[in-house]
Amino acid sequence: MCAVDIDFGLGLRPEHYEEIAANPGHVSWFEALSENYMVAGGSPLRWLDRLRRDYPMALHGVALSIGSIDPLDRRYLDELKALADRVQPLWVSDHLCFTGLRGQNMHDLLPLPYTEEALNHVAERVMQVQDHLGRRLMLENVSSYVTYAASELSEWEFIAELARRADCEILLDVNNVYVSAFNHEFDARTFLRAMPRERVRQFHLAGHTHKGSHIIDTHDEPIVPDVWSLYAEAVKLFPGVPTMIERDANIPPYAELLAELDEARRIAGTVTKRAA
Amino acid sequence: MSSNAGSLGDLQRAFQDYLLASSDTFQSAVRDSSKADRITLLDVYRDGYALRLIEALTTDYPGVMAMAGPADFDHMARAYIAAHPSRHPSVRWYGSGLADFLSLTEPYSRTPAAAEMARFEWALGEAFDSPDVTPITADALMALPQEAWESLAFTTLPSLRRLVLAFEAPQAWQRREEVEAGDLLVERAPEPLAWAIWRPDLVSNFRSLEADEAAMLDALIEGRSFPELCESVAPFTGDDQAPARAAGLLRAMVEGGMIAGFRY
Repeated sequence: MCAVDIDFGLGLRPEHYEEIAANPGHVSWFEALSENYMVAGGSPLRWLDRLRRDYPMALHGVALSIGSIDPLDRRYLDELKALADRVQPLWVSDHLCFTGLRGQNMHDLLPLPYTEEALNHVAERVMQVQDHLGRRLMLENVSSYVTYAASELSEWEFIAELARRADCEILLDVNNVYVSAFNHEFDARTFLRAMPRERVRQFHLAGHTHKGSHIIDTHDEPIVPDVWSLYAEAVKLFPGVPTMIERDANIPPYAELLAELDEARRIAGTVTKRAA
Repeated sequence: MSSNAGSLGDLQRAFQDYLLASSDTFQSAVRDSSKADRITLLDVYRDGYALRLIEALTTDYPGVMAMAGPADFDHMARAYIAAHPSRHPSVRWYGSGLADFLSLTEPYSRTPAAAEMARFEWALGEAFDSPDVTPITADALMALPQEAWESLAFTTLPSLRRLVLAFEAPQAWQRREEVEAGDLLVERAPEPLAWAIWRPDLVSNFRSLEADEAAMLDALIEGRSFPELCESVAPFTGDDQAPARAAGLLRAMVEGGMIAGFRY
């Protein structure tokens, strides 16, 4: 971990490159989407290098497919390692999911059945990835819309046990907990309380789209009040964990995200003050 | 790996087949919620799969979108998605086969300008994040001893692409935001024209090439020496004029930032 205070960060998005460079200091770190920078050259890498000089960065991927029954994609891992060597990130994260099989990529974060078989499979692969990258991996809970009849464990039991077995870390996406809790009708606070405190190393916050009967994790809207409330619970349970706001579509002006980040600061500050 | 019906492998295969609409057996592997039936919930994934890939194609092919309009583009994209599973971890590369698809598949092949637009746009996209190499300057060549020119050969920037287009796709592409989507007309060129696409720094360039320039650039890309480059333009200029013309073309290529290096 670096000596700089890593508390409130934003996703690094091309729409904001110039403003970030022109307005230093409002954000303590950025999270770059790994695959966007796994390219040979050009503007994306130039900006990444330039902004990395001023900010600590985390790498966040969507294509590791840690849960897939396909063999791990060694070429992808090599490219990810090369990017990590270049960026020297705070940490490298991806999602607890699979993204395809038979060499095909569905470009979606598909949920896994929470079974002992899946747990063994994913734990083994996390260890292989960690060996390959030479660093611990951080895995994020995904939003999901379907419940497998075959699941033997709850999602929170699965994640906690996976982190323990594979010795990996947890990126706790508070919005995803909220979305999945609504879709699968569980208590979001039960999920939070089951997370092992020492392994939760980052929070994600994001917006979603409510369809009435279910919620879709769209990352294209501001964070809703209920997710802010759940975030306050998360900060209480996991004090001092870095927070990051993740907007992937309908990208608003930079100032709007800074204002959302101030809200996260205010909530975290209030919780901390109350605790003290 | 266990082979029972609820195994991880079986569930993943069934899930993926469901997304590809090749099998519905996955429906029985998931539950309804009290608020939504499983088909509604599974549709979030099935719809999302196509929408994400259509979005990627829309980003990569604004010129094709301007030609086709949203409805026809959507129809075309879904046909491409059905024929082309994504094989790369990054959606960045998903559209790599679109130009070939459009040129070989009915009814799109009846509008050959669309395939040419796609070919042009993909070349621009490839130039965008190709390896960074600083082009040489004309001064570096001026400083060379006279005898170097007898064997002097060049390498081009990794971003450089050569196309021959029968339609005026690049000219139309520049008008893509000035027209309603669906209204972009792409005229047939008086005769097929050679184009170069490259990225000297952060911004991609493209321009058409004269016939002798195209012949010389092709020879240069093959690693031919300067005397051979002169020979490549001689059929267009005559032997006497060839060295001066080749030197002039070379200067334009160097000053345009197409040339990465030289050896002799």
